[in-house]
Amino acid sequence: MASKSRWADTEEDAELEAKLKREKEEKKRLKAEKARKAAEEEQKRIASKAQQAAAAEQQAQQEQGRLLNEPPTKRRRLTPDRDDDRTTEKGKGKDDGSSSTGESSAKLLRFEAPTWKPTASVENYDKLNDIEEGTYGWVARARDLRTGKVVALKRLKLDEATGGGIATTATTSRVGLPETGLREIQILKDCSHRNIVGLHEVVINDAAATHPNRKEPIEAVFLVLEFVEHDLKSILEDMAEPFLASEVKTLLRQLGEGVAYLHAHWILHRDLKTSNLLLNNRGQLKIADFGMARYVGDPAPPKLTQLVVTLWYRAPELLLGAPTYDAAVDLWSVGCIFGELLAREPLLQGRNEVDALSKIFELCGVPTEETWPDFRRLPNARSLRLPSAANAPAAVTASMIRAKFPLLTAAGCQLLNSLLSLDPRNRPSAADMLRHEYFTQDPKPKHEAMFPTFPSKAGQERRRRKETPNAPGRGQKAPASVDFSGIFAGREREERGGGFSLRMI
Amino acid sequence: MSHMTNPLATVEQLYGRSTLNALPQDLQDTIFLSMQSLTQAAGLLLRLPQSVTAQANVVLARYWVTISWPFPDEFSDISAASLFLVAKLSSHPAAPRDLCNVYAYLLSPLSPLFRPSSGPSLPSKPEKTLYYLSEASYNEAYARVLALESRILCALSFDTHVALPHGLAVTYLKALDFLGVSPSARLAQRVVAYLNTALLSPQLLYLTHQPSALAVAAIYNAAKDLDAKMPECAWWEVFDIDREELGFLVVGMRSVEGAVRAGREEASAELREGNMVTRAGIETEMRKRGMVLGNGATTAGGGGAAAQLTEEDILMRSLDERTDQMDS
Repeated sequence: MASKSRWADTEEDAELEAKLKREKEEKKRLKAEKARKAAEEEQKRIASKAQQAAAAEQQAQQEQGRLLNEPPTKRRRLTPDRDDDRTTEKGKGKDDGSSSTGESSAKLLRFEAPTWKPTASVENYDKLNDIEEGTYGWVARARDLRTGKVVALKRLKLDEATGGGIATTATTSRVGLPETGLREIQILKDCSHRNIVGLHEVVINDAAATHPNRKEPIEAVFLVLEFVEHDLKSILEDMAEPFLASEVKTLLRQLGEGVAYLHAHWILHRDLKTSNLLLNNRGQLKIADFGMARYVGDPAPPKLTQLVVTLWYRAPELLLGAPTYDAAVDLWSVGCIFGELLAREPLLQGRNEVDALSKIFELCGVPTEETWPDFRRLPNARSLRLPSAANAPAAVTASMIRAKFPLLTAAGCQLLNSLLSLDPRNRPSAADMLRHEYFTQDPKPKHEAMFPTFPSKAGQERRRRKETPNAPGRGQKAPASVDFSGIFAGREREERGGGFSLRMI
Repeated sequence: MSHMTNPLATVEQLYGRSTLNALPQDLQDTIFLSMQSLTQAAGLLLRLPQSVTAQANVVLARYWVTISWPFPDEFSDISAASLFLVAKLSSHPAAPRDLCNVYAYLLSPLSPLFRPSSGPSLPSKPEKTLYYLSEASYNEAYARVLALESRILCALSFDTHVALPHGLAVTYLKALDFLGVSPSARLAQRVVAYLNTALLSPQLLYLTHQPSALAVAAIYNAAKDLDAKMPECAWWEVFDIDREELGFLVVGMRSVEGAVRAGREEASAELREGNMVTRAGIETEMRKRGMVLGNGATTAGGGGAAAQLTEEDILMRSLDERTDQMDS
């Protein structure tokens, strides 16, 4: 459109208007025809019912009749000439006019409707630097050439072999675009919350975007995400001092709010961990990486995959192979993150599934019939050999969380304990968690604006390191002789100035 | 909110479809109707829930307004790709082999889907070879579906979200106290029937109106059909629909049946001979009508087919002109 001259534009506009008018008239005509037929039927019905109908009912029927009866030219009720309509109507109908005023006074809720347009090309973005290339694809910092805004570009993995058995030959080895990536896009598009990373748009490689009709395959799909300076994991690794209690509260509350939003919208994240939590320089936490996320219903659909959540953050019911699970798996991960924020290192670093489960039992105690009623029925629990509840010492079945976090307040401990309940039914929902007294007790959560800032790894900033000497090592040899003679040497030969004097004026 | 709202087609998209398209409106409607019915039939045979199939219908319609003739794809492939895509993202994925088998069957001469009621009856012993899909042709079909899948995603900028009005309609019926009384089962059924029929509407009702409006219009229609007693006020305003919008949808929904019937009778004889409309069928029809085919195809891409046609086309057109001259 932009390339054409103004004249062409106006001509087209006029054409469009004329066309629309024609279409509208056509529709009107069609509707009038239908309405006439329907009205005839309606009239017959009314006639047969005759006069004994109550006045109120009659009015209502007229109302309905009016809907079908009204000549099409007078359909537009919201235009200025509506008043004329009413006056003419008043002539034939009794208090139709008043009823229509009552009607139109209602304020109707309108939805904002987005629309769809062809996917744009990635060439609109200028890559600044790679952020990371790791397990979940390639992420880069880039600048939007149209607005100058800095964004994060995340490339979707396309050649992901999902499911086996389908791929037989080379031509069909691809299963199309992976549903995980498509789900991530869909979920991020549907979400809008301050604690969830924002998706600006989705772009594709240039050739596919510029020639949509030619059979150019999509080679790359990029998610254009809002750029957030840090992820929590690298902050935790690099920081000299652990987070203050008030800062942990702020982070945990923001995480809880994000998770509560997701769960309220029927989304399970299924991969919450510190490297998926981003933090910007205004102290805002944002949940990212929805590659494992999906919509669920209540009850959760069967056939949910068991292989979700990074091992260190995986809930015990998943490790034991529960056939169904729900939002509680995310809350377990939140508990693990809570512990990690306090300890500055991942809480349960299992080397494999077995090790992970034994670490969980070490921390939270061995499950008993009281703490987790029917856990024995879970598929992988049959092979589990646990000390029987009767003769096990209390220390084995009791939670060690209190002992592990001696500096945590009683309320904090209680919250962490409930998040890390072995029985998923005992874990609080995200909304419950936010109402916990831990968040209202002193120290209060620190205001986000007061949050400390950190050098952004993703933005290629570096901490200014002050070289500080280390304490002398044991067994190091003291220097034999140090020559201090140079310290004040040559003082006498320095030129003497006027010196310091106080001016008295 | 996203569970209740849909993206809607812009005026430009709807306008462009009806005017800039080289295909005449009636052919467009025929193609659209048969694609949508084909999708529904495939959904049934694949045992997908109607919620999945209906979403596929909506995705297909959204793609349909973004493309204009000539495009390189077979209509049945577009239907298959949108069904495959939506099913993949739902909790009821369709295995590619099943999908291709079902479409092969539906497109075979044995499929009862597009068979005119007056046409020849099915042979008593169906030839299974007519819809057998060999490994090679399966691979081909699947590759086409995958290519189209990515094209659909590109055209919709990867937004596959569809909110269906069916659930809302049930909620509305409950709010109107229509559930639980004995004729209400029929009413609810009728409402769902209207909503499903509207999926086929050549007016693309699902692209122009939000689910809440569709639900209210379906309830209004169903209540009228069954003479159910409705509240005696402008009850639709409770559901945030104004009277004009309701009126349009009421008429639009009622007109679908006629359009489908007319389309079937008119098209079945000539275009498809009891089968799905194909590109080739449309091309012959266009030629029969003496319309310029593949105009500007070289720039719009999709080149191969159009380029092949040009020579043949010119010859045909000159023949047509000659016959016209002889007639006059």
